[in-house]
Amino acid sequence: MDIKNKIIYISLGLITGIIAGYFFSGSLESEPNLTKEKKEQHEEEHSTVINLPDSVLNEFGVKIAVAESGEITIHKDLTGEIIPNPYNLAHIVPRFKGIVKAVYRKIGDRVKKGDKIALIESNESLVQYEVTSSIDGVILELHMTPGELIGDEKHVVTIANLNNVWAELNVYQKDLGDVKVGQLVEVRSPHTENVFRNKLFYISPTVDEATRTAIARVMLNNSNGVWKPGMFVSGKVYTTKKKVRVAVPKNAVQILEGQTVVFVKTGKGFQPRVVSLGIENDRLVEILDGLHTGESYVASGAFTFKSEILKESFGGDEH
Amino acid sequence: MNGTIDFILKNRLLIIVIAIFITAGGYFSYKKLPIDAFPDVSPVLVQVFTQTEGLAPEEVEKYVTFPVEVAMNGLPNLKSIRSVSNFGLSVVNIYFEDGTDIYFARQIVNERLNEAREQIPEGFGDPQMGPISTGMGLILFYYLEDETGNYSLEELRTIQDWLIKFQLQTVPGVTEVLGIGGWEKQFHVVLNPDDLLRYNLSVNEITEIIKKNNLNVGASFIERDAEEFLVRSIGLATKIQDLENIVVKSEDGTPVYLKEIADIKIGGAVRRGIQTHNGIEEVVAGMVVKLYGTNSSTVIGAVEQKMKEINKTLPEGIKLVPYYEQKTLVEAAVKTVTDALIQGIILVAIILMLFMGSLRPSLVVALSIPFSIMVAFIGMNFLDISVNLMSFGGLAIAIGMMVDASIVLVENIDRLKRENPAESFLHVVARASKEVIKPIIFAIIIIITVFIPLFTLQGVEGKTFKPLAYTIALAMFGSLLFAVFIAPVLSSLILKRKKNKDKDTDKKEIWIVRNLIKFYEPFVMFFVKRRIYAVILSLILLLIGIIIYPKLGSEFTPTLQEGTLIVRLSMAPSISLEESKRLTMLVEKRVLKVPEIKGTVTRIGRGEVGAHTDPINSAEMYVLLKPEDEWREGINQKKIESEIRKNLENIPGILTNFTQPIRMTVDELLEGVRAELAVKLFGDDLDILKNKAEEISNLLKTIPGAADIQVDQVSGKPQLKITVNRHAIARYSLNLSDVQNVIRTAIGGETAGQIFEGIRRFDIFVRFAPEFRNNKMAIAGLLISNKNGLKVPLSQIATIEEIEGPRQITREQNQRFITIQCNVLNRDIGSFVDESQKAIDENIDLPVGYYTVWGGQFRLQQEANKRFAIVIPVTLLLIFFLLFSSFNSLKNSLLILLNIPLALVGGIIALWLTNQNLSVPSSVGFIALFGIALENGMVLVTYFNQLLREGKTIDEASIEGAKLRLRPVLMTAVTTALGLIPLLLSTGTGSEVQRPLATVVVGGLFTSTILTLLVLPAFYKWFSIKIEDSEI
Repeated sequence: MDIKNKIIYISLGLITGIIAGYFFSGSLESEPNLTKEKKEQHEEEHSTVINLPDSVLNEFGVKIAVAESGEITIHKDLTGEIIPNPYNLAHIVPRFKGIVKAVYRKIGDRVKKGDKIALIESNESLVQYEVTSSIDGVILELHMTPGELIGDEKHVVTIANLNNVWAELNVYQKDLGDVKVGQLVEVRSPHTENVFRNKLFYISPTVDEATRTAIARVMLNNSNGVWKPGMFVSGKVYTTKKKVRVAVPKNAVQILEGQTVVFVKTGKGFQPRVVSLGIENDRLVEILDGLHTGESYVASGAFTFKSEILKESFGGDEH
Repeated sequence: MNGTIDFILKNRLLIIVIAIFITAGGYFSYKKLPIDAFPDVSPVLVQVFTQTEGLAPEEVEKYVTFPVEVAMNGLPNLKSIRSVSNFGLSVVNIYFEDGTDIYFARQIVNERLNEAREQIPEGFGDPQMGPISTGMGLILFYYLEDETGNYSLEELRTIQDWLIKFQLQTVPGVTEVLGIGGWEKQFHVVLNPDDLLRYNLSVNEITEIIKKNNLNVGASFIERDAEEFLVRSIGLATKIQDLENIVVKSEDGTPVYLKEIADIKIGGAVRRGIQTHNGIEEVVAGMVVKLYGTNSSTVIGAVEQKMKEINKTLPEGIKLVPYYEQKTLVEAAVKTVTDALIQGIILVAIILMLFMGSLRPSLVVALSIPFSIMVAFIGMNFLDISVNLMSFGGLAIAIGMMVDASIVLVENIDRLKRENPAESFLHVVARASKEVIKPIIFAIIIIITVFIPLFTLQGVEGKTFKPLAYTIALAMFGSLLFAVFIAPVLSSLILKRKKNKDKDTDKKEIWIVRNLIKFYEPFVMFFVKRRIYAVILSLILLLIGIIIYPKLGSEFTPTLQEGTLIVRLSMAPSISLEESKRLTMLVEKRVLKVPEIKGTVTRIGRGEVGAHTDPINSAEMYVLLKPEDEWREGINQKKIESEIRKNLENIPGILTNFTQPIRMTVDELLEGVRAELAVKLFGDDLDILKNKAEEISNLLKTIPGAADIQVDQVSGKPQLKITVNRHAIARYSLNLSDVQNVIRTAIGGETAGQIFEGIRRFDIFVRFAPEFRNNKMAIAGLLISNKNGLKVPLSQIATIEEIEGPRQITREQNQRFITIQCNVLNRDIGSFVDESQKAIDENIDLPVGYYTVWGGQFRLQQEANKRFAIVIPVTLLLIFFLLFSSFNSLKNSLLILLNIPLALVGGIIALWLTNQNLSVPSSVGFIALFGIALENGMVLVTYFNQLLREGKTIDEASIEGAKLRLRPVLMTAVTTALGLIPLLLSTGTGSEVQRPLATVVVGGLFTSTILTLLVLPAFYKWFSIKIEDSEI
């Protein structure tokens, strides 16, 4: 075998080896082969503007409103019970110790001032005398049975005028700062339709040691007798009522990257606007700063806009 | 070997009988083989689900996920542990090494689960193992259609849970039926806090009282006379009235009934998932999960049968409507490969006829196909390989190769028979067989050897391609058996009689071969005479290959079209279920605008635990297509997909992705990532993880080819955080638990036993009326009472704030991480990863202890490459030894190996021309190509040597040998190539995976055959054996 031949097949062997080696070691790890694609027009401006056609807004139930001033009221929910008005209450104590001879009235009877309630024979003088009502009202308690010996220390008849009653509401310590005399209260009793509004006329200066609550009182007209003492009631005390420059529905405000924003319609489209919030109730919230009266904003469906912005931060869509 | 041939020819009857037995055995094996769509690539995985009522991700991670993870550490064969802590659900995935017995894995997990249970605080959930199934276990989804419109979603769900579910679960092979959608029926005890206050009761007392007033007891038996009477005390509540009349308190003999303080009604349970349909309604749906290791097609068949029976028993107007069936996929995949198989067989038969020129030899050769396939079936049965896209694909690929051995043999017999008309035919057969049997055996062994690298594949790629490698190897083994034992016998029986007829024409080759030889002769002579041109020709080809090779992209496995479209919607993580439903239905309406779409069924969130763990901001929409004949002219699935894409443009706040059912489930089980590529960022602090992940995702967006980039939505779930002030509760002599119990029951609700309606049981759920718990103010006003009956509002003793918390916490190997996933379009993943990795290293500054890991399909590819880099050279070495032992000549062996690079070039060019990427299937194609290319070379070189030994000069031997062997070389090449043509052209389900493979083989065969025929004879001179060395 001559040298020439040797060289040829050594080189052939080498080529085979090199190719095989190249193929296997690098197999699949090929280099980038794409010439840089034209810069896609994917670079959106970072001042997030969202543009949605009206048809899409309709489809997704987005509602736009104009920012305007409003009134926000805040209330506290308190619980309590109905008690008779102590100023319309009469406790009647027999003048002398003696035996009950007759009882003319029953519990629950309406009586007028001066109406006879019972007849008692004094033990000392054996003279009979009448027990009469000192006010107009309803007999709440009557501890007398004919023949019974009645003392002169305790009251035996309680008469109350229930034309007006009190609701005594418990005010928790944390609410004491907000609840004030003169605030409007809406009192209602559960499971009934009874609602009555009046102003608080009294707040106890002390707090009960056991319950740590103060007492707020409101007087209720009870001429139709729906409020019965002992009844459980709840009261809504309107502690704040404020005219605000801009009030928006609560769900118009979204939290975006830790900031509160409202989506404002501008010439370019919808933009998130950072706003600072004032007071709020369960429906409305005050905008202190960031949104001016007369501007259009997304009142309903703001979540859709928030999602759209979040989506951009997730990454590209399937464009 | 020669002795064997003689023995075979002496015992022809015996051989025929054995052959018939083997064939029959193959047929019965086939009948027993399970049928799947494709090989199940799911890892060996045990999932542990823990449902925790109302816990936020942080608490789920701390109290549930962590103890479970810790308990699982150190299990035998453990590969990795991954967990997701979501709202109310902890999922821990425990991966085992491949090959671990699933029941063993479940058993050891179960043992450790008991430890974990002890660590999980009371009432925080009970960890349970998921169904015994795999990613391909979701075989059928259905929904309940209510034609009457009279049934409420609760009633439908009850029908699903108590009627359909149990019946379907009785079907053998069904391990679980999971319901979703509608409302799970519950008895709601809706409390008004004012009433509790009025009667001085606490919410916890109510739950206790309900529990105490709802049970049956047994009191053994009494004897009376000669009989025994069992004693039962009945106290179970069975209806609303029973609950209403529970006495909760008695004041001075006045009973207070539950109905006075609570509203008791039937309602729906808290739900984390629903199903919508066509954008107009909610439906109740179910999914059937197949037991691990069962036969998909049988199970689906049985489920369908059962569904028919169930439909009969359902109330009038209600029926089960399947909306996803794996069966269609199984059928389609099997059809693709079966079609390819049959077409391949036909094409091969035609070629045989053309080249052999007569029916009889063609018949002998063609018979090797069914025989080889039957042998493969027997092997598949033993190796537990199911009939699927890959295993059948292997057979389809091998069709052309199965006949090669027999072609060489029969061709030789045919030739010798014509050359020696005088010789006894049996003698001719024996001589011809002996001449070629050794190279045939070596060639086949080499082809089988070539597949060794595939057997070393691990993980997904292993599970995907091993069945293919096995069936090819088995079929090749079958063809070897046929060529050695049966072909000589059949030739001696079938070819014999023909000899007597038309003697004249018989001597010559048939016209097609004659013309081919005529055409070929000048070429081979030219190259043999001027060898330097042969060198140049091969160098040019090699150069082309080297130039083109880097231009090829790479990917793991081409996406398999399952034929079912899913649109995945991701919405803002803070979304409510109602809003999620509203948006999903809007999207459904848009999708339905495409006329080919019959309907949509969408799952939002998750149903019963076991299959899906998605949160409610994620929806998967199954797009149901009309039958293809109702489609518009010229439309196909791709076009429908792009129309859907167009319709889905301009959807505010929703991210849409396309995916497919099995792919989605399997991908999720593999990496927890549904995209091709994922960057995992590990670290401890959720905020840092989130920020850095955003940075990475923004960076990736700037890299060309990046598409569908998505950062795991780990945060953004708003929380109402209630922090109890310990000093404050001390003043009111409350325990923390007093406060928290009220918070839990009042806001979240609590189950207070169950109501039995026959065997059906429904929870009694105690909770405050919505207006007393559904906003911050109401919650602030919740009253907590202490032992003395003192009541304090929550806001007095706790601070309540709205914050943004994590949506889910993912952990891997006991560490938190966040995933940035993306797909790569118009570019190969390998280069994309390189570029991205570099960009990340340069531009992103990670804190100490934070690091990134790349995952997704890309990682699997890397693993495959690494293994191939070792195994392929080793295999080459092995082949070289085989060649060497066959030829006893280093030079001959080298010459034959020269075929490999030349064949590779063809494969590379073919890929490039057809715009395909390097991928695992194309690598498999290259591997198969080696074997085939070597076979051709061997046939040729063997004959050259033989002619040389007969005393011819090297040039004569080269030209003569090449001419004489043109027919078998061309035949084996053309049959192999044509056998693959159906796969190449097929557009059926699964063809995407087979096509690159077929492309490579066909392209490679083309160059390798040309070169075998032109270059090999030319080079032979330099690589020839020295005759002096061997015998003359």
